[in-house]
Amino acid sequence: MTLTFQFCPEALPFHTDFRVAGTQCHLSTNSHEILAVAARWRTATAHPAAHSFRMEILVDPALDSIADSRAHFRGLRHLVFASLPRNSFVVFDLVRRHVRGALSAHVASNDTFWNTLLLPITVGILGTTMGVAPLHCACLDRDGDALLVAGVSGAGKSTLAAALAHQGFALVSDDWTYVSQESQRLTAYGLSVPIKLLPDTARFFPKLLEFTPEAALNGELAYVMDARNSLGLAVRESSRPRWIFFLERTSAPGCQIRPSRPEFVRQFFERSAEKLPTELADAKASRSRLIQKLAECPSWIIRTGASPRVTAALVGRFLSEVQDGAA
Amino acid sequence: MELRDAVNYRDPLDVLRRFIPTPHRAKYRIGPIEVVVETNDFGLLPSIPSQQGAGDPVEGTLEWKLVRDHDVDGGLDEPVFFTSGTLTVVRMGSACLLGLDHERRELLGFLGDSVDSRTFQDFLVPFLCGLSAEVVNGDMIAYFPELEDGSFDA
Repeated sequence: MTLTFQFCPEALPFHTDFRVAGTQCHLSTNSHEILAVAARWRTATAHPAAHSFRMEILVDPALDSIADSRAHFRGLRHLVFASLPRNSFVVFDLVRRHVRGALSAHVASNDTFWNTLLLPITVGILGTTMGVAPLHCACLDRDGDALLVAGVSGAGKSTLAAALAHQGFALVSDDWTYVSQESQRLTAYGLSVPIKLLPDTARFFPKLLEFTPEAALNGELAYVMDARNSLGLAVRESSRPRWIFFLERTSAPGCQIRPSRPEFVRQFFERSAEKLPTELADAKASRSRLIQKLAECPSWIIRTGASPRVTAALVGRFLSEVQDGAA
Repeated sequence: MELRDAVNYRDPLDVLRRFIPTPHRAKYRIGPIEVVVETNDFGLLPSIPSQQGAGDPVEGTLEWKLVRDHDVDGGLDEPVFFTSGTLTVVRMGSACLLGLDHERRELLGFLGDSVDSRTFQDFLVPFLCGLSAEVVNGDMIAYFPELEDGSFDA
């Protein structure tokens, strides 16, 4: 059975706008149900976002009847192809900032699909073309100030983020943080994606034992939890980057904090950022400017062999002293 | 250019496989159209008689970038087409992803190992020419009778 989706005005009669990670999405669809879902994302704001993109979504129940496939992503130059469970296919045009997708009826009006898959993936893929830098770090908020926690994969960013969130910080993100510049100030967004904790972290957070690890999108077995509803953590949508910690795990006991340098921050985020093709040279330059600006934040390297709870308590006290001018 | 074996292509900063080197390059004339093919697999350079349309003036140029993707499972599925003013996208399962940008005149695609040389040559090359013909308004189809008689509609 050949399926053909024609993306033309006649096929997309419903329209709405919403904001995501500081950008404006102009959504067109043939599905009234999607409008109802999108209404829940709308935020009251007096000013439109500086950057926008178009998203055209066609829903076809015929997609529900074909065999499901695993999530699969490929890209060449300015085009990115994304196959998403269940039975959905999305194409991103990064030069024209245009997203076109065919969704099965099963996922079209599913909040979880939009909030944990389609919207984060869209911002992750398209963000750099709109002045939003996806950065691989956790983000926590305290009284409107954001602490970014970076580190190599496996360093324990999510675990420390969860521990910090148990000690008075609000969780913005545990894995990917989307940073943009608005009115000369940086803003970090989190998209409320579920927190992902590896099975061995249950020894630090016994509440996890009430749940069952599941395979995440990358195939990794993890507790994938709604931070607010399942773990009772405070969650915020965004915050203002103010401090950066680079987390290093060590087998030695104790915890050491030493100052970092702006050049270290810049190089870390540049080296860990997705490679971009020459077609997206402007986006790459824009991302570098954001990273350069972010590198002006005070930063430290924390090397810890202590438990996440002890490390989080130390970080909390350290930042209080920084704010009081003692550190 | 650094050549790396795409079988072992593992770049954590290139999860989309955009930067798999495509060192094999060839130029074709199909009727009045010039097609430049760039690929990482010699087997994805089409076998098209070089004399086809050689005497005609060139009316348009297209670029095909075809990447052999060794990391996908499964064969060709039923096609799903996306059509719009600027793009035509075809997905035949993860083993065949194609995007044709009409304005930029680029056809970009990933083909899995399950697309063997015969399938590529007999099925996909005429299909790609058919797609490309929509862009350049050139008569490429005349060189592929299977397209003209309507027997090939993917």
